[in-house]
Amino acid sequence: MGKLLSVLCVVLTNLVIIISTGTTTSGQQVLRWGADPSGGAPYVYADPANPDRYIGFEKEMVDALAAAMGRKPEFVPTDWESIVSTLQRGSFDIVVNGLEPTTDRAQLILFSKPYYVFEQQLTVRKDEDRIHSIADCRSLRLLVGTLGNTAASRYMQKEGIPFRGYPDPVAAYRDLELKRIDGVLMDVPMELYYARSNPDLKPASAPFLRGTYNVGLRKGDEALKVQIDEAIDKIIRDGTLESILRKWNLWNDAQAELQTPIRAGQKNDTISYDLTSVSFNWRQAFGRLARAAVVTVLIAFGSMFIAVVLGLPLAVGQSKGPRSIQGLCTIYVEFFRGTPVLVQLLFLYFGLPAIHLAMPGWLTALVGLGLNYAAYESQIYRAALEAIPRGQWEAAYSLGMSPLLAFRRIILPQSFRIALPPMTNDFVSLFKDTSVAYVISVWELATAYRELANATGRFLTLGIVVSAFYMIMSLPLARLARRLERKMRDRQPAEVSTAEVPA
Amino acid sequence: MIRIENLAKRAGGTQILRDVSFEVVSQSVLGIIGASGSGKTTLLRCLNGLERIDAGSILLEDVRLEASIPGSDYHQRVRMLRRKVGTVFQHLHLFPHLTVLGNIIEAPVHVLRVPRREAEAEGLELLESVGLKQAAQRFPESLSGGEQQRVAIARALAMHPNLLLFDEPTSALDPKRSAELRSLLRDFVKRGHTMVVVSHSIGFLIGLADYLLYMEGGQAIEYGETDTVLNSPKDPRTADFVRQVE
Repeated sequence: MGKLLSVLCVVLTNLVIIISTGTTTSGQQVLRWGADPSGGAPYVYADPANPDRYIGFEKEMVDALAAAMGRKPEFVPTDWESIVSTLQRGSFDIVVNGLEPTTDRAQLILFSKPYYVFEQQLTVRKDEDRIHSIADCRSLRLLVGTLGNTAASRYMQKEGIPFRGYPDPVAAYRDLELKRIDGVLMDVPMELYYARSNPDLKPASAPFLRGTYNVGLRKGDEALKVQIDEAIDKIIRDGTLESILRKWNLWNDAQAELQTPIRAGQKNDTISYDLTSVSFNWRQAFGRLARAAVVTVLIAFGSMFIAVVLGLPLAVGQSKGPRSIQGLCTIYVEFFRGTPVLVQLLFLYFGLPAIHLAMPGWLTALVGLGLNYAAYESQIYRAALEAIPRGQWEAAYSLGMSPLLAFRRIILPQSFRIALPPMTNDFVSLFKDTSVAYVISVWELATAYRELANATGRFLTLGIVVSAFYMIMSLPLARLARRLERKMRDRQPAEVSTAEVPA
Repeated sequence: MIRIENLAKRAGGTQILRDVSFEVVSQSVLGIIGASGSGKTTLLRCLNGLERIDAGSILLEDVRLEASIPGSDYHQRVRMLRRKVGTVFQHLHLFPHLTVLGNIIEAPVHVLRVPRREAEAEGLELLESVGLKQAAQRFPESLSGGEQQRVAIARALAMHPNLLLFDEPTSALDPKRSAELRSLLRDFVKRGHTMVVVSHSIGFLIGLADYLLYMEGGQAIEYGETDTVLNSPKDPRTADFVRQVE
């Protein structure tokens, strides 16, 4: 036991050393690099043949860079859209993930010299005949998908082209196939890997809008930047980078333009491409947040309506129906209460199209949350219905009422008063739960916050503004609920006087 | 004419009522007496169809409910029976979400389809006859127990029943209120109503009931005019009971 403890101590101490100094036990310095491997081909992604291993052209390039620097590479998987913020908070030392040196990013972090020249490719469906260039999307107001927080998304925002940001390219191309959007604008490497071989899709035009990928570093890491720049020069000069790019089928004339001067020994750092960058302005941000708030309200009210209406037959079926109906209702309730709403939404959004039921994102969120909350509402109703004394039913029957009439006129109004407080509570909670719709790229408030903040790094100020938006919407709701409850309580008897006492 | 013949009721393996037969004379009051568990409340619940009968029959004017009638036809008959029978429960079961007047017009408007105005006018008349016209717009819980009971009576009368059932009407009343209730019910009998009153209080039934039925162990032991049953009972069990209660 004591031996085990001491071994544990050694392991822990080593761990602390590694974490705090970034050094391996062998003394070699570690180069921690961050990238998003989900939908990350051909940059860095899990090897389909061996999912424990990461592969990709950037993975091979970082290995070469680290070797040139005498360091040991260590890959830190992360999320693409917040990658700059994650670098800033110190989760890794450098970003190597097809990161474009836009001017807004350059205010936040350092960039190395470029290692790759990319272009944008617009992809449309095979049978598409309206779109021949990105300009057509603007004039026809057709929605274009892209990766969130990229040069492409900045370009479309600046040009006023309606677009939707996705967390990974797979979802974007899938929505294009499902006709939820009409085009996808993506860097050529991703288009090459995810769309080129798809028989249902085609390129709309030749690639356009050049830009570069550079390594991102924290401000203040100037010494590391010099090392990285030298290492990039080295793997360009000795042909390592070219052979990696050729292997991944990414070599083209633009790469030659980038590499030739360096190989010739010229100190030419001046190659730069004009990348679109968005300047943040509060007016525009408010506009986008307000639009997102409308979507949030729509989803919240729509799904509450479904929940309130669907909850009633569920409750009645579960407590009064024949055995088979009771069973079905119980299965429904337990399924929707027992699985995460996040999983349910992903299933509805990506799973249902397999049986030709492709709904737009906002409708998916509305229906999904509605179905989910119906399970909860039904339990509130059931408790409320069962709280009504049996004598109320018997009194109604004795007056000649049918079961349906007794339920509608006598039982339901009384149950409603009991159910109202927990229902309003659920509604406020549903209101906030609309934020899970971000997983299916619905532009509601939480998504808006994430995208705006990721693009600008203003997590704090935007966070306060978004919270204010939520509060402005939910506070009147809570007040309305309280007023309704008070109004009912004033008329609601204490149940003592007529409560059933066992004889 | 109300006639009950060979009525039987089982519940969970126990025979609660067996072979109960009696008649209720029109425009009279029948009092049902007996110890707790003698089956008198169950008998009352059979008369308005809240309990399904297992044998025998209930005849009320032109409605005949028989135990042998199958499923949906039985329910049909029960609904016809209920239209002719009004019930004032021991615990009243007023509708707490409706006003006093709302309680009274609810069934006339939604079951008999009487126009609301008409139902309200008649409801107010009924409330006046039980001395509660001023409480029409109040909610039941703001009334005293005795007042609530009179609302329940008015609610039952609003359906123009041929037979009015009372379950333990004095259980929550003091002697003064009991006497008031007795004279109120007597008034209604004079106006042509027929009643069955289940009560443990023989004192209340004296001066109200024209006939008495004594129940014991789920059986009708003795039936007759009130004076006869109380003063010269035929069955020694009736005599025992009357002696004990007095």
